[in-house]
Amino acid sequence: MDKEKEKDKEKDKEFLKPEYYENRELSWLKFNYRVLNEARDKNIPLLERLKFVSITSSNLDEFFMVRVASLKDMVHAEYKKKDIAGMTAKEQLEAINKDTRALVEVQYSTYNRSLVPLLHNHDIQIIDAHEDLTEAQEEYVDRYFEEAVYPVLTPMAVDASRPFPLIRNKSLNIAALLTKKEDNKGELEFATVQVPSVLSRIVQIPPAEEGCKTFILLEQIIERNIHRLFLNYNVVCAYPYRIMRNADLSIDEDEAEDLLQEIQKQLKKRQWGEVIRLEVEEKVDKRLLKILQDDLHIAQEDIFKINGPIDLTFLMKMYGIEDGDALRYPSHKPQRVPQIVPGEDIFEAIRKGDILLHHPYQTFDPVVDFIRQAAKDPDVLAIKQTLYRVSGNSPIIASLAQAAENGKQVSVLVELKARFDEENNIVWAKKLEKAGCHVIYGLVGLKTHSKIALVVRKEEDGIRRYVHLGTGNYNDSTAKLYTDLGMFTCSEAIGEDATAVFNMLSGYSEPLSWNKLVVAPIWLRKRFLKLIKREIKHANAGREAFIKAKMNSLCDRDIIAALYEASAAGVQIDLVIRGICCLKTGIPGVSENIRVRSIVGNFLEHSRIFWFHNDGQEEIYMGSADWMPRNLDRRVEIIFPVENERLMDQVRHIMETQLADNTKSHILQKDGHYEKIDKRGKKLLNSQQQFCKEAEKAVPKKVNAYQDRVFIPAEPVE
Amino acid sequence: MKTITFAAIYIGSHEVSLKVSEITSGRKIRPIDYVRSNIDLGRDAYRKGMIGYELVEELCQVLKEFYTIMNGYKVDAYKAYAGNTLRNVSNEVFILDQIRLRTKIDVTVLSNSEYRFMEYKALAMSPEFEKMIQKGAAIVDVGGGSMQISLFQKGKAVTTQHIELGIMRIREKILKIENLVSHYETQIQELVDKELEIFRRIYLEGMEVKYVIFLGDYIGEIVKSFSKKEEDGTIETERFLKLLKKWSKKTSEEISEELNLPNEHDPLIVPSVVLYKRLTEELNAGYIWVPGYTINDGIVCDYAERRRMVSFGHNFEEDILNAAKSLAERYQGYSKHTEAVLSMCTIVFDAMKKVHGMGKRERLLLQVAAVLHDCGRYISLVDQAERSYQIVMASEIIGVSQLEREIIGDIVRYTSKPSLTYGDVNGKLDQASYMVVSKLTAILKIANALDRSHKQKFKGVKASLRQRELVITVESSEDIVLEKGLLPAYANSFEEVFSVKPAIREKKVF
Repeated sequence: MDKEKEKDKEKDKEFLKPEYYENRELSWLKFNYRVLNEARDKNIPLLERLKFVSITSSNLDEFFMVRVASLKDMVHAEYKKKDIAGMTAKEQLEAINKDTRALVEVQYSTYNRSLVPLLHNHDIQIIDAHEDLTEAQEEYVDRYFEEAVYPVLTPMAVDASRPFPLIRNKSLNIAALLTKKEDNKGELEFATVQVPSVLSRIVQIPPAEEGCKTFILLEQIIERNIHRLFLNYNVVCAYPYRIMRNADLSIDEDEAEDLLQEIQKQLKKRQWGEVIRLEVEEKVDKRLLKILQDDLHIAQEDIFKINGPIDLTFLMKMYGIEDGDALRYPSHKPQRVPQIVPGEDIFEAIRKGDILLHHPYQTFDPVVDFIRQAAKDPDVLAIKQTLYRVSGNSPIIASLAQAAENGKQVSVLVELKARFDEENNIVWAKKLEKAGCHVIYGLVGLKTHSKIALVVRKEEDGIRRYVHLGTGNYNDSTAKLYTDLGMFTCSEAIGEDATAVFNMLSGYSEPLSWNKLVVAPIWLRKRFLKLIKREIKHANAGREAFIKAKMNSLCDRDIIAALYEASAAGVQIDLVIRGICCLKTGIPGVSENIRVRSIVGNFLEHSRIFWFHNDGQEEIYMGSADWMPRNLDRRVEIIFPVENERLMDQVRHIMETQLADNTKSHILQKDGHYEKIDKRGKKLLNSQQQFCKEAEKAVPKKVNAYQDRVFIPAEPVE
Repeated sequence: MKTITFAAIYIGSHEVSLKVSEITSGRKIRPIDYVRSNIDLGRDAYRKGMIGYELVEELCQVLKEFYTIMNGYKVDAYKAYAGNTLRNVSNEVFILDQIRLRTKIDVTVLSNSEYRFMEYKALAMSPEFEKMIQKGAAIVDVGGGSMQISLFQKGKAVTTQHIELGIMRIREKILKIENLVSHYETQIQELVDKELEIFRRIYLEGMEVKYVIFLGDYIGEIVKSFSKKEEDGTIETERFLKLLKKWSKKTSEEISEELNLPNEHDPLIVPSVVLYKRLTEELNAGYIWVPGYTINDGIVCDYAERRRMVSFGHNFEEDILNAAKSLAERYQGYSKHTEAVLSMCTIVFDAMKKVHGMGKRERLLLQVAAVLHDCGRYISLVDQAERSYQIVMASEIIGVSQLEREIIGDIVRYTSKPSLTYGDVNGKLDQASYMVVSKLTAILKIANALDRSHKQKFKGVKASLRQRELVITVESSEDIVLEKGLLPAYANSFEEVFSVKPAIREKKVF
């Protein structure tokens, strides 16, 4: 037996070779490239294409702040350990730099060469150089500056007595070189002013031609009027620039008595993180750049010279311009879930059987209603919920607060550590506490990423538990943009588990056993490996074996190695992975049976499905976890089985449709590149559009009650 | 149909737990919520003999949270018990008072036998239990400081033994020599073997144990790794032992990882594995069963039974009498005389119902006392009453509480002594219990006198109350002068307690 074990170990090692793995950062950049590709797709309405450019831009920002920043930290700490693809941090940074430059290049050439001319064709003009303004426009712009912009500007000069000011992370600024008017020596002085974030980045101005829509970028208005800020100076030159700082929060939780306060403290610190990227206009003055470079302590390789407006996220605003409907996709209205009639008792509907929700094709309203009805229902004893990222003005928060005021026991786990939402989360947490909710601020060392809501109701025949489990956050805004799956159930077994989850999150001991749910960080990785191993066993015995899974990212070494082993054993593996995928396909003897596709569409693919054939006794799981180390080891995640036959069929259909998608799918090639499917001679299938249509069709048609109505005249009384 | 939401709280040596359940008449008890919090009360209790301020603080905090949870479920009733840990500390009453004042929860401290009995009640709720004890079963309840083994044959309780061998105790003994040896499984095994050897010799001879029913720490985790089980949830002993043997060679880290224990190198896991392995080998049963009930389940069952919302398939009163008989037999104190006394005291008790006002439970205590009243002779013919008392007090009988044991002991002790004053039992019994002891002793004395010669001369005994006289009618073909003559001497206390005079009427049968 020991010999066999050794053999196994050797086999495992074989699948762990670094050359079988892709670096996760480079894989992520490929994903962003796929998004950018959508912006280059001529079949997509123009404003949608602008949106995709904007998304690539904000994606890149986050990527730098988080991933690049932590790689920089590793380099500083002289951390030499290699990643799964065998790269050191330094090597990764070099590769990232190269790929990012290529990406930005394409980004701006797309914007400059395709999108701007196309916009012009559609009578939309974006002026990104104030020199191009007509006289009438100049007048308008100057007045706008005087009235709206000037009052909120804070110009800051740098000299011996005034040190270089704090430049805020991600903010757009204008730097200028000045000379004193009466001073003839021509000594250059440096000044900087932040483009105020409280004002819209794009300002609509009177058009040069009738029927045209004209916009100018705010920094151009400021640049044009910059001399008004420095009255005693001559402005030699002025250029916009932007910096990115290391934003990774590191909180010592053991030391932090009160997590809330600690996070507030860290948020302030984030403004001061190391500068890791500087963006300047391509034609920036060299003297100006030198000053920036020296004072921001930034290396040459981290300077990006941009051919166009810095920070393209403003295109998201352009996407939303008035009267632009013809240039956008018709907006999809999330459809009613057939089993749930709005305004009627949602608990009754759940009692009739498990209900699957597919967002955004179907509306998120039932989830909001679930909490809202529970808050008012006199039979409800308790509501417990995890909140990760909540929308501004969330109706769920309001309902939870109301429930607490109505005397129900409300426990809410607010994950304060949700990145970039910390500030937001603190506000909600305090609001809920004030209303009388029991608020738990997450667990030490773990992020609570699971999405679960539990309503405990005292009914005639005893206590009944209603549970909602999902793959997405309880956020009614993102539920309109992210594709997610959710399930309502009042199954006793899941209800018991849900109670146990909240007991665990409240700091009580783990339950002796779980009925249905699989919970990370303790049980999840093992379970997934076991499920994969089971398929291997079936394949080895000559039985049919397959795994079909959909997730956002795949970069866990153990899981990938297990998948390689499965592929080698003959298990057929189909993966739909939106973002990072460190697995490589088509390696002879290793991954020939694995196919990976990425769907980048109008909605952000976000749901997670794990489907195992298990020799015909199929098992389907959904949940909050990706196959990433952070999901499996450092977060509280929940994976739940879909057991109702009807629901299983629905999920199978969703998965199969995505695997048949030939419009928005990019297939991972042997060489690591993604390619779209050759559509020639094929019936086109766009899975997201397909789901939209199906959701509309599934809604029961309103019966027109008036059609059959016949008024019956009364008989005369005899 | 009435449904009650009930909360059961238990304060144990390393864990405080709350179980909320729904009890509906005639239905299975439905668990709703089970919350456990680790508090190491045992550490203070065993080391210092008292529980320190910090732990009491922590305990109150958890109980307060429990109170909120109970309110959340709008529970109709609750019971909160504490075990061994609190019973053995010097500041027990103060802790209970603190808890009451700060958390509004009333905690009762359970004696060992009450605790075990509650566990058995939870067991008796499952239909498998009755089947298993019919075929011969041993219930083994392994705790931190000690364990308790109860043997059942043909559906009846045979014996219950308390052995001072628990997981924590073993660990502490081993701790001192841990550094001297690399593999201390052998040492643990030797410790365990010594105790088990004696148990086997005395109690297991001629017994057939088909099932071992394990209750206690770690066993739940250990059997969790068996995905395949028999139809009734049992595991074949052979398979069980195979795994344990494999594990007993591993380190605590390895086993902890395999079992997914929260503590990565649980120091108690190796002693547990060795102990369960040895117990299984020694009891030599075909199957083991781990029902997974906890004391909280027992508390719920106990409450439901008292409220008459559930009934057990198993008759615990019969168990008590049976266990008493086995005990008497062990000390060769079970004879025709015992049977005669048992039957006569029951007749007298029933006849006197109106006067003594006692119920079913007291009747049972009287019967147990009757069965055991002579067992002290095994040790010494002189002062056998004192010896009988000692035997009773040293023996576990399932379902008899500590107080009840004291009552039985005192009845046995004072049956052959002239009279009993409250001063004799003060400190051990409260006044009500003293009254019970006095009344039952008086009855037992009469019954004993009726078979003074140990010859069972009387047949067809009847008793009836006529005003202030208890008329005992006996049929006899023999000379009963001895009995008749001695009765007044034994009737003193009877008259004193009940103000009723016993008299014998003889019906000669030829």
